[in-house]
Amino acid sequence: MITLVLDIITTAAILFIVSAGLLIVFGVMKIINFAHAAFITIGAYAGLGASRLGLSPVLAPALAFLAGGLIGVAAERVVVRRLYGRPLDAILATWGLSIVIGQLVTLAFGREVQFVPAPVSGTVMILGEDYSSYRLLMVLAAIVIAALFTGLLNGTRLGLSTRAVIMNETLAQGLGIDSTRVRLITFGIGCGLAATAGALITPLASVDPNMGLSWLIGAFMLVMISGGSLLTLGLSCIVLGGLQVLASTFISPILGGLTIAVLAAVALRLRPEGFARA
Amino acid sequence: MIAALELVNLTSGYGSSSVVHGVSLEIAPGEIFALVGKNGMGKSSLLKTILSFLPAWDGAVRLDGRDVTRLAPFRKRALGLAYVPQEQALFQDLSVRDNLRLGLSDDRGFEASLAAISGWFPVLTARLSQRAGTLSGGEQKMLIVARGLIAEPRLLLLDEVTEGLQPSVVDRLAEVLAETRRDRGTAMLLVEQHLSFVLGLADRFAVFKRGEVVDSGRVDAGSAERIDEHMRL
Amino acid sequence: MRDRGSALRSMASVPQPGMPNWLIRAGLPALVGAALVVAGPWILDTYMLNILVRALFVAIAALTVDVLWGFSGTLTFGQSAFFGIGAYALAIGFTQFGFGPWQALLSLAAAVGMAAAVAGFVGWLSFYPGSTPLYASVISLVLPIILVQILYSGGSFTGSSSGLVGFESFDLSLEGWFRLAGATVIGALVVASVALSSDAGRVLSAMRDNDERCTYLGIDTSLVRIGLTVITGVVAALAGFGYVGFSGVAAPENAGFVFGTQLVVMVALGGRGSLIGAVVGAVVIEVASAYLSSSLPFVWELIVGVAFVVVIVVLPGGLFGSLRDAATALRGRIGAAPVLALSPVTLATLERAAVAPDRNDVVVEADGVSKHFGSLSVLSGVSFTARQGELVSIVGPNGAGKTTLIRCLADGRERSEGTVRIAGHAIARLAPDRIVGLGLGRKFQAASVFETLSVADCLRIARVKSDPPSFVGASPLLALPAAARAVVESSGLAERLGEQARFLSHGLKQALELAMVLALEPRVLLLDEPTAGLTRTERQVFAGVLTELVARERLCVLIIEHDLDFVRQISSRIILLHRGRVALDGPVADVVDDPLIREIYTGNNRPQRGEVMS
Repeated sequence: MITLVLDIITTAAILFIVSAGLLIVFGVMKIINFAHAAFITIGAYAGLGASRLGLSPVLAPALAFLAGGLIGVAAERVVVRRLYGRPLDAILATWGLSIVIGQLVTLAFGREVQFVPAPVSGTVMILGEDYSSYRLLMVLAAIVIAALFTGLLNGTRLGLSTRAVIMNETLAQGLGIDSTRVRLITFGIGCGLAATAGALITPLASVDPNMGLSWLIGAFMLVMISGGSLLTLGLSCIVLGGLQVLASTFISPILGGLTIAVLAAVALRLRPEGFARA
Repeated sequence: MIAALELVNLTSGYGSSSVVHGVSLEIAPGEIFALVGKNGMGKSSLLKTILSFLPAWDGAVRLDGRDVTRLAPFRKRALGLAYVPQEQALFQDLSVRDNLRLGLSDDRGFEASLAAISGWFPVLTARLSQRAGTLSGGEQKMLIVARGLIAEPRLLLLDEVTEGLQPSVVDRLAEVLAETRRDRGTAMLLVEQHLSFVLGLADRFAVFKRGEVVDSGRVDAGSAERIDEHMRL
Repeated sequence: MRDRGSALRSMASVPQPGMPNWLIRAGLPALVGAALVVAGPWILDTYMLNILVRALFVAIAALTVDVLWGFSGTLTFGQSAFFGIGAYALAIGFTQFGFGPWQALLSLAAAVGMAAAVAGFVGWLSFYPGSTPLYASVISLVLPIILVQILYSGGSFTGSSSGLVGFESFDLSLEGWFRLAGATVIGALVVASVALSSDAGRVLSAMRDNDERCTYLGIDTSLVRIGLTVITGVVAALAGFGYVGFSGVAAPENAGFVFGTQLVVMVALGGRGSLIGAVVGAVVIEVASAYLSSSLPFVWELIVGVAFVVVIVVLPGGLFGSLRDAATALRGRIGAAPVLALSPVTLATLERAAVAPDRNDVVVEADGVSKHFGSLSVLSGVSFTARQGELVSIVGPNGAGKTTLIRCLADGRERSEGTVRIAGHAIARLAPDRIVGLGLGRKFQAASVFETLSVADCLRIARVKSDPPSFVGASPLLALPAAARAVVESSGLAERLGEQARFLSHGLKQALELAMVLALEPRVLLLDEPTAGLTRTERQVFAGVLTELVARERLCVLIIEHDLDFVRQISSRIILLHRGRVALDGPVADVVDDPLIREIYTGNNRPQRGEVMS
C-alpha cells in the first residue's frame, strides 16, 4: 500500500518533470514542440557526458539545461519562428527536427544503449517500506522545477511580459513588449527544461538515441489536457499518472502504458479546450 | 515646429479592400486633436495603421519628424507613443498592479507613478491587487488610461475612450487628460463619438467618413453644429 | 485554428471542352504508368523488384495520407494503424487457419471490416461540430500506439514484439506481385484523381478551405470527414494486406507511430495535395532507404530529416508543388495561354419549386434569448419576430450583442436560454447545417468563401445539399435559383466563373458569398454588416438586390448594419439593441427619430449650444 502510494507520487513527479518544458512552449507559443523528445535525449547525453567527465552529479541537470537551451534557441531562430501561423506544419517541422537531432546524436555517440549511475543509490525507509531514494529525489526535483517556474512567471518582469504575451499578444506589443524575443526565450527555456528532464530520468532508465520518444506521447497528452496551465498539469500528472500506476499494478503493464493516451483522448473529446479553467 | 504626429497620404486596408484612403493630418506637440465619426468608418483602422498593426499600403507616419511607417508596433512605445485601445484593452486575468506595471518598460519608476495614479483615479490605487477583470466598466477605462499616462508619452492615442461610460467618469477623464496636457505637454489624438467630450477637450477636430477626412477645423462655438451635421442619421 | 500551409494547394483544373476532363487528367499518366508496370520486370533486377513491390504498397498508404491531409486538411499520423490492421488480418488469418481460398477471403473480409469499424470509431471521435484539426491529429497519434500495445500483448496470436512470420501465402511470382502492386497503385491514383476532381470531390477542398462555410451551406462536414476516414482506412488496410501477402512478415513496426510519421514525410516531400507526389515520394524514399541504409545508415536518415524540415518550412508544396509553380512561372514567361482563361461553365436557372403563397408568415421567432459568458451577459431576454417579406435591420453600438444574436439564431448550441423558431420549427440544440435545412441562410461579416475553389465550384458547393453532385465528372452546367443567378450576373461574377475565389476583389467576394447563400433558397437570410468595405456604387447595387429579394421572393432578411443612412434606405423595420437588450423595435421612421438612438450613438449628455469650450 505504501509502495503503491509512493509509486503514484513519484510517477506523477517524473511525468511532470518530463512534460513541463512542452507545456511552457505550448502555453506561450500555441505550438506543439514535437522535438521535445529529442531535447530529452540531448539532456540524457549531456548527463552521460557529465558523468563520464567525473563532474558532480548536481551539475548534470544544469549542463543539460544549457545544452538544450542553446540548441533550442538556435532551432527557434532557424525553423520554428517561421511557422507561427501554421500550427500543424509546426508539429511536422519540429518532428523533422527531432529526426535530425536523433541522427546527429547517433552519429556522435553511437547507437548502443548506455547507462548512467544514479548519484544517490539505495533505498530509504518510509513507514516501514524500503523505497528507491532516487525516485523520491524526483519528487523534490519536480517541486523545485514548479517553484522556479512559478517564481519566474510571477515574480519577474520577463514573467510578466510572458504572461502578457500569452493572454493577448497584440495588446502586449502595443505596450512595447517584443513578443518575438519573449518567444525565443520561452522556446529556449522549454527545450532546456526538456533536456534537464532527460538528465534527471537517465539514472532510472538507459540512454539511447531514441529514448525520448517513449516519453513524447504521454507528455503531449498531459499538456493537451492541462490546457496550458502549470497547476492543471500537476493535477493531470497525479490523476493520470496515478491511474497508470493502478492499471499497471492491478490489470496489466501494457494497459498501464495506454492509460494516459486513452484517457486523455477521451477527456479532450469531452472538453476540447483542456481543463485549465475547470 | 516639428509635428508630434504627421500622417502623409496614409492608406491601408484588409485583404484587397482599402479602409483608410489617403489620410493626411498633423498634430502639434501638446495639441489635442479629435477624430470624430460614426462606427464602421475606419477610425480604429486608422489608429491600427499608425501603430503598424495594420500595414500601411501607401503614405507615411512620422513621429516627431521621424518616419516610423514600417517600424514594428512594439518599438513605437519607446519613441513616446502610447495607445489606449477600445476593445480588449486590458489583461483581465492580471491584477490591477500588473496591468499598470505593463505601462512602463521596467519596474523602476513604478512606485513613483503610483502617486500620480492616486491623484488621477484614487479608486485604482485602492484596488491594486484585485483582478482587472473584476473592475467595473468605468474603473477598467480609468485603468487603461492611467496605464497609458504613466509612460509619460509625448503622444497618446485614445480610441473611443468614453464609450459606455457614465457622465461623471467621462468628466473625470476629461479633467485628467486636460491636466496632463497642461502639465506635460502631451499631444493627444482622440477618436470619438462623444460630442461634448470632444468639444470640451480638443483644440482641433476632423470628421472621418468612409476612411477619409471630410471636414476639419478648430474647435469653436460653431463646431458643434458642424460636427452634428456630419453625425446626423 | 486553420492551418494555412495545408490550404496552399488546390487542384488546378484545366477543363477542355469536348473531352471529359478526368480522362485527360488521368488517362495519359495512367498509360505511362501501365507501360512501366508491364516493362518493369524485364528491366529491373530481382532485388530492385523486391523493394519496389513493398514500396508500391506503402505508396498506397501514403496516397491515403495525401487524400486526408492534402485534400481535406486533416493531418494524420494514424494511417499506419490501418495498414497494420490489414497486415495482421492476413498474417493472423493464415497463421491460424492455414492458406486457402476461403481463408484468404476471410482474412480480406476481416481486414476490411476491422479497418472500417476502427475508422468509423476514430472518425466519430475525431470529428464533431466544433472539433479542431489538432484534435483529429491527436487521435491519429494515439491510434497506432494503442494498436501496437495490443499487438505486443497478443502473445503467440499476434506474435508479440517479433511479429508473425512463416505462414504460407499467395503463390505469385515476383513479376506477378510487381504487376499486381503497380496496377493497384495506378488504379488507386486514377480513382482518387477522378473522384477528387469531380463535383463531389470538391467538397473536400471546400471543407479544408472553410469548414464553417460548408456547415452553413447545410453540409454535415463531420459526417463527410467520418466517411472519408472509413474509405481511406479501408484502402490503407488493403495496402497492408498486400504488403504482408508479398513479404510474408507482419511486424508491429508496420502499424506503429513511427511508420505513420514516415508516411507523412513521404507525402510532404512528394507534395501534399498532388496525389502523384505521394506515390513518388513513397517509392523514392523506400527505394533509397533500402539501398542507402546499409551504406550510409544514419546519414541517410539525417538527409531525409533535413529535407523534411526544409520542405515544411520553405516549400510547403513539396516536390510536385514546386514543379507546378515552376511550370506556371515558365508558362507565364513564354506567354502561353493562362491556365484558367476559359470557363466552359454555362449558367442555367432552376425552376423554383412551387412558390409559397404570399402569406405574411412569421419565419423567425426569438423568445427570451440570452447568452452568457460566465458572469458576463451579452444578450438578455431578447424577443422579437420577423415575417416573410420583411427587411429588419438590427442596429446598436459596438458590443450591443448584434453578432451574438445572429449566432444564436443560426446555431442551436450558442444561446444560454430562450427558444428560437425558424419557419415554425424550434431549433433546439441543432447544429448549423440542420438549421440551414429549415430554411435559414447566413452570410458572414468577413466574406467567407472557398479561397482555392473557382467561383463556379463555390456556387456548386452551395447546391450540394439539394442537387447531389457527381462523383465522376465535373458538370459543365451550373444551375442556380433565379435570385442567386441574378446576383452572379449583376455583380459581374458571371464572367469570372472559372477564376479562383481568392483572386476576387473584396466586393466580388461579398457578392459571391451572397450568391452562395441565396443558392440555398433560404426563407430567412441573415446578413452581418454586408456593406463594410464596399464602395459607394457596390452598396447601391447591393441595396437594390436586397429590396428586390424581399419584394419578389418574399424573403425575410435580418441585417446588421452600422450605416444608418443605408439602414433607413432599405429597411421595413429596425430593432435597436443596446447592452444585450432590445431597446427599440418598430418602423423605420419611429426608430430613427427616437431620442434614445441619438443618445446611444452620439454620447450621453449633448452639449448646450454656446457653452461648448470649458
